[in-house]
Amino acid sequence: MNRKVVAACLLATAVAGVHAADYSFDLSEVERSPLEWSGFVDAKAEHFNLRPGSALYPLNFPGTLPRSELDRQSAGYELAGKYQRDTLTLYGRLAGTAAHDALVTNSNSTWLEAGLRLSPSTGLSFDAGKQLQRWGKGYAWNPVGFFERPKDPSDPTLSREGYVMASADWVKSLPGTLAAVGFMPVLMPVNRDLNSDYGTPDKLNAGAKLYLLWADTDIDLLWAGEGSRPERIGLDFSRNLGSQLEVHGEWARTISATQRVVNPDGSIGTRSGHADSWLLGLRYLSEDEVTWILEFYRNGQGYAQDEFRSFYQLVNDAFAPTGTSAEQTLARSLAQSAYARPTAGSHYVYLRVSAKDPFDWLYVTPALSIIANTNDRSWQAAPELSYTGWQNVELRVRAILLHGDAGTEFGEKAIGRRLELLARLYF
Amino acid sequence: MKLKHFLALACACLPAAVLALDGKALLEKIDRNLEPEAYEMTRKLINEEPDGKRKEFILYSVKKGRDKVAALFLAPASDKGRSTLRQGDNMWLYIPNVGKPVRITSLQSVTGGVFNNADILRVDYSEEYDVTSASEEGANYLLDLKAKTGAVAYDRLKLTVDKKTVLPTRIEAYAASGMLVKTLHFKDVKDFGGGIRRPATVETDSPLYKGYKSVMLYAAVKKRNVADEVFTLNFMSRLDELRK
Repeated sequence: MNRKVVAACLLATAVAGVHAADYSFDLSEVERSPLEWSGFVDAKAEHFNLRPGSALYPLNFPGTLPRSELDRQSAGYELAGKYQRDTLTLYGRLAGTAAHDALVTNSNSTWLEAGLRLSPSTGLSFDAGKQLQRWGKGYAWNPVGFFERPKDPSDPTLSREGYVMASADWVKSLPGTLAAVGFMPVLMPVNRDLNSDYGTPDKLNAGAKLYLLWADTDIDLLWAGEGSRPERIGLDFSRNLGSQLEVHGEWARTISATQRVVNPDGSIGTRSGHADSWLLGLRYLSEDEVTWILEFYRNGQGYAQDEFRSFYQLVNDAFAPTGTSAEQTLARSLAQSAYARPTAGSHYVYLRVSAKDPFDWLYVTPALSIIANTNDRSWQAAPELSYTGWQNVELRVRAILLHGDAGTEFGEKAIGRRLELLARLYF
Repeated sequence: MKLKHFLALACACLPAAVLALDGKALLEKIDRNLEPEAYEMTRKLINEEPDGKRKEFILYSVKKGRDKVAALFLAPASDKGRSTLRQGDNMWLYIPNVGKPVRITSLQSVTGGVFNNADILRVDYSEEYDVTSASEEGANYLLDLKAKTGAVAYDRLKLTVDKKTVLPTRIEAYAASGMLVKTLHFKDVKDFGGGIRRPATVETDSPLYKGYKSVMLYAAVKKRNVADEVFTLNFMSRLDELRK
């Protein structure tokens, strides 16, 4: 009996010892090294329900027999590294994917960022190389993102590729209502070999951002000079209202903007004038830890419902048996440059609702994202479920469902439904 | 007669005024005993589920003045490089992939689990709270605190403070509705050097997360005075440059 008691005591002591030891923390776990790197690998399986009768189908799947389903498997990676010595930092981020489906097998690798930073002081740094500028406060859209590739509102947190440029970043903290002021000038060359997709080649594009933290509000005043694209000016703001609510907004004006428009008779016209785009949004955290992100977006260079209809008619005519290759080339050009870009319409609402750890399911996050074109009343809904309970592993299942009548933006997309499974391992 | 009434009222109010004053001084003393006004520290956060499964985070953080704190995630790999910044009621989160700081609110949690942003980016208690009552009970001081503004994460705090060390042993956090949100237990007082002697372990439980527990382990706390510009959005992606 006594032996049992002693054994039980010893076992209890041992368990307590392990428990205490488990809470130990050794600083060598995170010792700093001049060379640091990190990244992830992922695997994705996707199932697409296609719309062979939609206007954009022949543009997305050219030269293939109409099909209603497609399965794709892909693997991807992202590798980020930096080497720091004194005031110099060399940094890079490389990403790649390999994908296979019944129509195509392809792979690619791209430097998202790669550059050199000189930081002579805490408040001053200079960068040269491929950089990703992220101007603006919007979650799904950034009308003031003057020197970056646009976000995909279906997946706003997706990594994006930067542009090659030189920039400086200066910031000063101040006492009082104006708590900080910052200034960032940018210089970006564009030619046939460098940043060629930004706009007109053989131009040096200049821009600047003035940042103010004034009365607990982040404010940016932004400018991009005329060069590869027309001159643009803008401002944005973001502010917390209480412990649960944040509000933000952006406004941008493109001065003397021109864009191609398909007229109702099928001819191609040009629209010119100042284009104002703006965004108003909020982020609200409810007491039961549900996060709501709501944004209203007015795209100053977006297309109205009848303009979309004229474009879809042009595409239908071009890919009809009587269509010519010149008409098809024109349709492709209009799609790539404007009409088929994500959210090319003029008025949108974005809503994302995500619940943290609902029903005591720790690390489980269900979410629903909706993008609605309020002009033509077409929309896209994306319910998803993610799990991050295993260290350095992320699992996500997501469906994307598009809805709209014929002649509407989301009603004429080539893919009507999509289901994706993603497994990602961080290292 | 009126003068007598006035004097009686004044005498009745006097002890409360003295206590309030003592409570404020006591709270400021607790703040300084917990951390120097300007410091750097490295902590481990552990979220433990009822079945014993754990998720761990390691954070490097710096603080300056009464209300400026910045923290950088060093581990796990999925969160490495994330940083958070707080200036008073303003809070931002920087995620390397997203690439720009976004405003967050104090009640959100960047780690999941019982700790929220206000726990991770804690500023001085005396900066956010007024002392509504202070008393003594055996070997402890008891302090009731009320948030100065609605932007503070918890509306009321009840502190149990060890008289000998003037360090908290237990803090109960309440929502404006009066609901107990969480309880923090301060343990293992340790000498970190440089005159800093404070609890090395803070355990947190919450009736909202029955059976779950979050633990914060302090491995290094050092006095350090960094430039004001460290606490700006522009520096969030460069916080790692401060580590030695």
